[in-house]
Amino acid sequence: MVEAEKKHPAALQLTGISKKFDGRPALDLASFEVRWGEIHSLLGENGAGKSTLMNVACGLYAPDEGRVAVNGMQVRISKPADAIRHGIGMVHQHYKLVERFTTAENLFLSCASHLGASKIEQVARAIIEKSQELELDVNPYARIADISVAEQQRVEILKMILAGARILILDEPTAVLTDMESENILSLLRTMAKDGCAVVLITHKLREILGCADRVTVMRAGQNVLTNADVSTVTRGSLAKAMVGEDIAEKTRPKRKLGKSRFEVKDLYSRDLANNRGVEGVSFQVKSGEIYGIAGIGGNGQTQLANALIGMVQPDSGDILLDGSSIGYCTVVERRAAGLRFIPADRFQGGIIADQLAYENFCMTKTLDGTYGTWMRLDRRKMRRDTARAIEEYKIRGCQTETPSRLLSGGNAQKLLLSRELDANLTVMIAHSPTRGLDVQACNVVYDSLLRAADKGAACMLISEDIEEVLALSSTVAVMSRGRIVGEFTADEVTREKIGELMLGHA
Amino acid sequence: MLDNVYLVVRQQTPVWLRAVTYLAGIAAGICVSAVILLASGISLGALVNEFIVFIFLDAGGLSQTLTSFIPLGLVGLAAAAAIKLKFWNIGIEGQMWVGAIAGTFVATYDIGPESIRLPLMFLAAAIAGSLWIGFPALLKLRYGVNEIITTLLLSYVALLLVQNLLFGVWRDPDSGFPASPLYDPDVEQLAKIGWGPLHSGLWIVLGAGVVWWWLMNISRFGFFMDCVGANPVAAKLSGLPVLATIVGAVILSGGLAGVAGMVIVAGVEYRLTVHIAEGFTFSSIVIAFVARFNPIGVLVAAAIIGGVYTAGDTLKVFYQLPNATVVLIQSVILLSILIAEFFSRYHVKIRKSGGAYWSSSSSTG
Repeated sequence: MVEAEKKHPAALQLTGISKKFDGRPALDLASFEVRWGEIHSLLGENGAGKSTLMNVACGLYAPDEGRVAVNGMQVRISKPADAIRHGIGMVHQHYKLVERFTTAENLFLSCASHLGASKIEQVARAIIEKSQELELDVNPYARIADISVAEQQRVEILKMILAGARILILDEPTAVLTDMESENILSLLRTMAKDGCAVVLITHKLREILGCADRVTVMRAGQNVLTNADVSTVTRGSLAKAMVGEDIAEKTRPKRKLGKSRFEVKDLYSRDLANNRGVEGVSFQVKSGEIYGIAGIGGNGQTQLANALIGMVQPDSGDILLDGSSIGYCTVVERRAAGLRFIPADRFQGGIIADQLAYENFCMTKTLDGTYGTWMRLDRRKMRRDTARAIEEYKIRGCQTETPSRLLSGGNAQKLLLSRELDANLTVMIAHSPTRGLDVQACNVVYDSLLRAADKGAACMLISEDIEEVLALSSTVAVMSRGRIVGEFTADEVTREKIGELMLGHA
Repeated sequence: MLDNVYLVVRQQTPVWLRAVTYLAGIAAGICVSAVILLASGISLGALVNEFIVFIFLDAGGLSQTLTSFIPLGLVGLAAAAAIKLKFWNIGIEGQMWVGAIAGTFVATYDIGPESIRLPLMFLAAAIAGSLWIGFPALLKLRYGVNEIITTLLLSYVALLLVQNLLFGVWRDPDSGFPASPLYDPDVEQLAKIGWGPLHSGLWIVLGAGVVWWWLMNISRFGFFMDCVGANPVAAKLSGLPVLATIVGAVILSGGLAGVAGMVIVAGVEYRLTVHIAEGFTFSSIVIAFVARFNPIGVLVAAAIIGGVYTAGDTLKVFYQLPNATVVLIQSVILLSILIAEFFSRYHVKIRKSGGAYWSSSSSTG
């Protein structure tokens, strides 16, 4: 293997890869190359296609078109076993380990044949040898459920190496690690590269790219923006710009008339449902008629913030004020009664109940306040009538009042949700990634709805990973990183570059 | 071999298709059972007689089927109420036991005026059943303790309590058997309605069915139950009273189970014994699932399973079949119905072309 590696400098080449999901392109003629002995970094926003591209390389997705070559030879990788045979290994963002098994048992599953092992002990011995050689702290007899995330990651890396991989792909390996642990992993990767392996590092962090990668490729919307560029030729600024896009001729936004402060968050600390810290001291104000955009890479506390604002979780400390009165510790029901409305990031998880009919979903939020009959009798006829009107008004296609909601497409489900949330009593709208997965036409409906709500005097929040829409709609743009608001700009002073740098974090 | 065979979720199942699959399931179960019974030496004619004619067509058999249907219908509703909200009430027998204890308490100590003694007994049974499930509900909702374990173990606690009472203070002084003294026939027993063993508990279960139907289809509470059962997160974010809905349904579940226990004691046994609640938990869960929590479906399923039980009893008594064979047959029929349920939700699809399924364009990435 090592001999063969020397014949061709390029370890893995992906050329002209396209892949569609439900007719929507996730990859559009994307290309990528990694050489033996280098660390090649793959950069891009969430949903840019980085992971999809690498999943093609390791056999999880079959591309619609394009070629894969290992060591200069074109190969066909249609299942993970093919990738392993060609020496390609990947550490996914979500580890693929059996929690109840020990490290050795897990590696027995995936590496036994390559190691020629027939007993757990043989695998355990191989683990001990390899971990000593690489100075990795791994206990072969510890149960996965009992060890830290960082150690699980080391297990994943060992698994890949012991299965014979020489082309190592790591999907955001440092996202869940402390700085110290990250440094350890990065230095391991450098060692592996020096040892002749080809390393692909998918990351968001500019620091890591500039500090340890040899070359960098940037993707946006399934396409290459920057391909195989030498790290010495790029700067923090040029990478940020490549990732989030050029400042195309700025659309002139009509000046919005802002009223007085309507919604105020004061030094909010909050956890998620699993009790992990997510929001670390967030303060901001949203005025009547304003759209307040919060940009940031997913997983930096946005979901926890949204959940704390609508009342899914109670904050640890701090407060939320609506028109001057505190609602920070009220229930969802009370907040909704005060006019708070919510569009969740996952519409079928937090907004629409897939198993219920369209009209039931549309009227759900108003059943408790007596709009639709009494405790004794729910007025389903009135529910249907109101829903029919909304379906017409929002032009929700393929939807009758009696349609099971799970049969609605993403765009039409979102329209149903919008029509429900944008009612007459709306005071504050919290929209979290409201256009995720929608086509252009549906996106415009979402934008128009938010703008219309703001025109009527509501305070709107747009939490989104899509910088484009945040810039297009917001009067004020904030950037969230690691649970905090790390910057706030007015529409006049904001640029993509400023946001991009803050999103990627200086730390 | 099965690489190209896929199970695909049906988006919508028409009612006729569901009826056909269930009937086919029952038919298949009866056929397999018939083979088992023929192998145990029972003639085909006798089988037809017992299974079809006696259970559903013979007046005596039908009244017996309906008698066993009464508690089964009530526990079916009890299981449906809780499990619909993903609260796994595996303690239905326990709630039946404490219901029966509470009712027997009222009867034994002659509490309240005689004119309302029977309603009082049932009220006490419902309250006792609700309290018995209230404890696991509190532990689950407040501290996240798994209700499967707590409800199940509390069943044993309830059974031991019954045994303690029946071998102790409530032992019948006349016979010395571990059973409570006989209920007073005029004021503490459910009246026979003049058709075999069938008693007026029939009106209780039918009434419960009607109330349940109203609750699920007309009232606001049923709507909340639908929403919370399907997706509690979305229900909470949409401003529904999730906690109150769960508590309400769970208490209803315990209360119905308590009444089911009481119905057996006041309608069939006329005294508290150590056998009344045996085996009801599992039947109730099967009934709730087969009926997919639909109130009318629960009653229909309970009647069919009541028939299977009646047939089992007949086989045991008249053909000297061992209990194991009877349980085996009952299980085969229940399994067949569950398999039928599965096929009413999925259909089998065979892909002609090969290739990894990752390449399927319907993949959701």
